[in-house]
Amino acid sequence: MTTATEERTNALEERAKEARRLVVDMAASERGCHLGGSLSAMDLLIAALDGTRDEESKVVLSKGHAAAGLYAALHAMGILEEDPAPRYGLLGHPYTGHPGPKVPGVSFPTGSLGHGLPYAAGWALAQRLKGTGGRAVAIVGDGELQEGLIWETVQVAAARALGNLVILVDRNGGQNDGLVGDISPLPHLAERFAAFGCDTAEVDGHDLAALTRTLAAHDSPRPLAVVANTVKGKGVRAVEGKAASHYVVIDKARAEKWKKGIR
Amino acid sequence: MTLPGRDAYRAELTALAETDERIICLEADLGGKKHPFAEAHPDRFFNIGIAEGAMVDMAVGLAAAGYRPFISTFAPFAALRATESLKLALGYIGAPITVVAPYAGVSGAWFGTTHHSLEDIGIVRTVPGVAIAAPHGEADMRAVVRHALETGRPHYIRTGRNAAYESLPGDAAGPGEVKWAARRPGGACLVSVGEEAARLCGEAESGLSHAVLTYVDNESLRTAAKELSRHHSTLIVVEEHRTAGSAAEALALLLPEAEVHSVSAGDQWPAQGGDHAETLAQVGLHPAALAAKTAETA
Repeated sequence: MTTATEERTNALEERAKEARRLVVDMAASERGCHLGGSLSAMDLLIAALDGTRDEESKVVLSKGHAAAGLYAALHAMGILEEDPAPRYGLLGHPYTGHPGPKVPGVSFPTGSLGHGLPYAAGWALAQRLKGTGGRAVAIVGDGELQEGLIWETVQVAAARALGNLVILVDRNGGQNDGLVGDISPLPHLAERFAAFGCDTAEVDGHDLAALTRTLAAHDSPRPLAVVANTVKGKGVRAVEGKAASHYVVIDKARAEKWKKGIR
Repeated sequence: MTLPGRDAYRAELTALAETDERIICLEADLGGKKHPFAEAHPDRFFNIGIAEGAMVDMAVGLAAAGYRPFISTFAPFAALRATESLKLALGYIGAPITVVAPYAGVSGAWFGTTHHSLEDIGIVRTVPGVAIAAPHGEADMRAVVRHALETGRPHYIRTGRNAAYESLPGDAAGPGEVKWAARRPGGACLVSVGEEAARLCGEAESGLSHAVLTYVDNESLRTAAKELSRHHSTLIVVEEHRTAGSAAEALALLLPEAEVHSVSAGDQWPAQGGDHAETLAQVGLHPAALAAKTAETA
């Protein structure tokens, strides 16, 4: 017998698949898109959007280059009404390569790495001042953690005991020029956040049940840093785990083939 | 007794927060131990620590939730270290955030070049939508702070260190307005931007008109230029800023028919001690430079 939680997880998994297909469509646009990071972050986006449906909470995609993933997730979750895929990157539509606040469901422009987390921290501080119970979830990339502004903000968030701030790390191991491990590795990641004064968790970033459980369970005066282990390009077998999937332009025929294979 | 610019800011904001619950005051470890806002409204005061970029960006999140953040740190750190955050927060997002930046120009004097900011107006002026003010004296600073709150327009307000200046009589010049300290027909007109420039012009005994500009963002300068050019065809713009990015540079472009001269800081990097006036002299901004320019245009 299927429990309500399992049913909910199954429904979210279907939405993640739908959103991944949209991302592939955007990769097959004239512009192409940041495919690998959009697909690695997809389950984080779906879980975060599902867990912040109240008006006082926000999800901020700090790794703004995964804009295609964000637009697709917002549409799959019913927050963004129109289908962004056929409009992506085109004049007359707000679906730019890095997201801006003209897109329904997007509050802050991100893409210059490091800014989304402090925007989220400010929102979390505001909700605490108002006593609303609202919170903020910032999805950051592991490469993005090389930015100093991230650690400035983690320092402030811990010092201010922003327990309603969640830092969701999409640890896909890749960045623009190759592998994080080759360029500027980030060992002992959870321990780093813990040393700053955060609660930490480490999860499979493609396990929607684990993600929703982790996001729902947190109740502490300390910010929560979730290191989510993900696979770059997740869902499209041809590019899974490949650093070269960072930015991809494909043709329509290949897109159809890839979409059929999305698991 | 008139208050220095940053004390006037703190006093005015503390008073405004008595009746406006939206006001939040943020500092980055340079607000001092006895900040009046912290004492009066401790629940809405946050010393973020030495984290200027995070402070500006967190203000964006606070503003999105309906608050009116006022943030302050020294000009070199606000306008230069956190430039990208300012561009996004005050420009692109257009959040109702006010940045108050003391230690502008070389008011940091003997603290050295790291604590000087002769580039801030030029940098922030390239960001569309930001109101830039350089108020002269306590009354003008208070007026600018009130204006920032009332309009919700993103503001960058520069001021000095601890020196106190008496504002000129009359209301502070608002955006696009000119405050006439002296009005004489014909001849050149001294145009001052900021505290030390107004002082230099006021003490110059040049016999010329003296116009004080409080707001020096592009939009304000476009309007002020019209007023200035109605009365004078030669302007001598005095400002504690490098010539590059100066108001003089902007006015010269706005008024191609006018003769616009600049008395401003040169390209030097002061490497000696000294008080504010002595440091100004190291960058070429002193009474003799103004007198020479006045004589040249006579």
